[in-house]
Amino acid sequence: MPEELRSEPVNPHPGEEQPTPKRVLVCIGPSSAGMHLVRQAAALAADLQAPWFALYVETPAHASLTAPDRERLTHALRLAMQLGGQAVKVPSTRVSQEILDFARSHGVTHLLVGPPRRRHRLMSRRSPVDRLIRAGGDWCLSLIPAPGEESFASTVQLPTGGPSYGNYARGVIAVGLCSGLAALFFPSGAQVNVVMLYLLTVVAVASLWGRGPAILASCLSVTAFAFFFVPHYYSFRLESMQYGITLGVMLLVSTLISNLTYHIRMQQRLERRQERQTAALYEMIRSLAVKLRLEDLLPVALAHISKIFGSQVAILIPNAAGKLEFQAGEAFPDVTGTESEVAEWVYRHGHPAGAGTEIASGVKGIYLPLWASDRIVGVLRLETGEPTLILNPEARLFLEALGNQLALAIAHDRLSTQAEQVQVEIEVERLRNALLSSVSHDLRTPLTVIAGSASSLLEAEASLDQETKRELTQNIYEEARRLDALVYNLLEMSRIQAGEVKLNQEWHVLEEVAGCALERLNPLLTDRQVTVNFPLDLPLVQMDALLMERVFINLLENAIKYSPSGTPIDIRGRVSEGFVQVEITDRGKGLAPGEEERVFEKFYQAAPGAGRGVGLGLSICRRIVEAHGGRIWASRRPGGGAEFRFILPLGDKLPLPVESFPEAGES
Amino acid sequence: MKPRILLIEDDANIRKFLRASLMTQGYEFLEAGNGREGLALAAAQVPDIVLLDLGLPDMEGTAVIQHLRQWSGVPIIVLSARGQERQKVANLDAGADDYLTKPFGVGELLARIRVALRRGAVAETERPETLLNFGKLTVDLEKREVWRDQKPVHLTPIEYKLFTVLVRHRGKVVTHRQLLKEVWGPSHTDQNAYLRIFILNLRRKLEDDPARPMHIITEPGVGYRLREE
Repeated sequence: MPEELRSEPVNPHPGEEQPTPKRVLVCIGPSSAGMHLVRQAAALAADLQAPWFALYVETPAHASLTAPDRERLTHALRLAMQLGGQAVKVPSTRVSQEILDFARSHGVTHLLVGPPRRRHRLMSRRSPVDRLIRAGGDWCLSLIPAPGEESFASTVQLPTGGPSYGNYARGVIAVGLCSGLAALFFPSGAQVNVVMLYLLTVVAVASLWGRGPAILASCLSVTAFAFFFVPHYYSFRLESMQYGITLGVMLLVSTLISNLTYHIRMQQRLERRQERQTAALYEMIRSLAVKLRLEDLLPVALAHISKIFGSQVAILIPNAAGKLEFQAGEAFPDVTGTESEVAEWVYRHGHPAGAGTEIASGVKGIYLPLWASDRIVGVLRLETGEPTLILNPEARLFLEALGNQLALAIAHDRLSTQAEQVQVEIEVERLRNALLSSVSHDLRTPLTVIAGSASSLLEAEASLDQETKRELTQNIYEEARRLDALVYNLLEMSRIQAGEVKLNQEWHVLEEVAGCALERLNPLLTDRQVTVNFPLDLPLVQMDALLMERVFINLLENAIKYSPSGTPIDIRGRVSEGFVQVEITDRGKGLAPGEEERVFEKFYQAAPGAGRGVGLGLSICRRIVEAHGGRIWASRRPGGGAEFRFILPLGDKLPLPVESFPEAGES
Repeated sequence: MKPRILLIEDDANIRKFLRASLMTQGYEFLEAGNGREGLALAAAQVPDIVLLDLGLPDMEGTAVIQHLRQWSGVPIIVLSARGQERQKVANLDAGADDYLTKPFGVGELLARIRVALRRGAVAETERPETLLNFGKLTVDLEKREVWRDQKPVHLTPIEYKLFTVLVRHRGKVVTHRQLLKEVWGPSHTDQNAYLRIFILNLRRKLEDDPARPMHIITEPGVGYRLREE
């Protein structure tokens, strides 16, 4: 399974008009030419404006690469990621086939490879490059010469199994035992069975102890077989040439088996490791996916990394001022400040540093930059007793894969924070515009009336009769009052909006508060029948009376505005289940279906232009009632009209019953 | 002699409109654009009433009141904006007599001025009236009796006392604190809730529609006022 180290494909301007989209693939190995190849590929991809891939086929031989080779490979793959490519690692034994498959499945148009590696082996197999050239394909294949030929002499040690003499000894003993058993069971010389027994032994040795011992066992087996079981017995002399062929085939087969078994085992090991890493990566990504907020996500991710690498992990993220700050994970002591200095350096240079590296190895932590596409979003800190375990190229590449996920999460979080801010700004801007257009209209209307009336009084005073003058003056007065109410509502809304309003709660008589509102609205209520009905025993309610008066005023104004003059308005109060409920009803045309909620929205007006107002009154009511822990809603009144109700929590009782309030003083 | 009114107000247009209104009503009009000037004028010309705007450029309104009160008992009417209830109460506590919320009509202003002038006059004569009429209400302070529509109304002693405090300050705002202090004594000045209940009961006995009172008017956040006419 290919392990994709970069999830989002870089796909700048695929170009609709182009016949086929171009894709570049560069194949890299552990040689020092890797970096050079990657740069060439990046340059080509940039020229073609094409996405590109850096592919490394991880063969069983990978396990026995020298440390510098692995380091180079890691660098090359990371460089590919940094330059905008997708670094892909595919475990396989067949390099050329894997490359061909990848190239075909990804629609590669340009294939870049280094020159074939010089082989040290006697058995000079065809190199993967040769195979690629022979196989051909729909792509343009480029052989990129190495920058300096010398560096190609990088030795690739093919697996030798290592100098484990114990395993060789075990191989020898196994062959000895096998010979003994064969002599015991097939003394008469059932040669075919004996050969099988020897081959079985070789298979066992190969799978248990590796290829070296297996090859030794093969040779020994053939020798033992020739000595003990082939006539002339107990001698290497062969009775006929046929046995020579038998022995030759046996040697060939057992050697082949040794090799095959060995390869299969290596492949298995490789796959197991890949599987473990993939599982760990998958588990982390999965746990990241369910966390939405960065502050929840980071600890989980760090716990994963900590578990996998057996170390204390911390993450540092730049703050608003661009300075690195400890964000999550295990805090670390930093008395002298050197730790943060190193972290800062890593953040600025994008190069790992700290314990076990060449840079600032004096500090306790290992610092790795977290790359999100082309920039560093933070620094990962690991602290462990054995830095080499983390800094070996294998582990580092894996760590980087994990780090990439983290970096993406951080970058994503930042983007979404920015997006949220932008959203808020847009919303504020929208509201401001709505307010401005609404306010400018509603302010202008009364101002026009005032200015107009006043100017006629000024300019045509002599020609106006007494009645007209009075009318104009009345106009000015009424419009000024209206303007005052409008300005008050606007100010109140902006204060509530800014969170400036603090409730000044006291025990109040609802009837009195409603009465204040009615008193204020008296001029508008001259032709209305208003009935107020509060039960005599209605308890006192804790509230901010001025704000609650505003609720009554706005609800009443609303009723006046949306019901024909002369129709009655009713105010009723009652107690129900720990709340006191107030309803204000009119006999107007009522609310349109679905309007019940919308009327409480800011700037919503049931009939725009009909009445004067900004559409703020009811939304102010809602704010105030909710600030009191209550609820307000509207409904259609049975028999026609609108019905507004709100409830306020009754809360505690008065601290002292009225009866016990002292009848002090003389009467 | 014409009553002399001093207006301390920084806005020239408001001064202009008040000068026009009050001079046509037969008052002598003095004006000052800031607190310092106002105080100097008050000392030099000895007005019968001071109209004081809050939000002067040089002094806090409360400071002007306190200065004035050091040497003068002249009635002070504060002109303030809506939503400044705490400030109103503070000013009334500092010694102001009444307040008027901007924007106001000339009618309201003249009514306040009349009340304030009468108070000054009563203080001089020391002979208060004992039989008073408030629309449908009649109160005889000597006999301790209250009639509504010519029918006697029974008030509890505490209700009667509460009512007489309002009567004594008729036409003028009385703060919660002041009412509580005068009726129940200085140790109950923060029991607004009980005051509200007594006012509610008083209204039920004296008003036609207690929810829309004609006589005992609530001044939100400040106190109560007994309407005169």
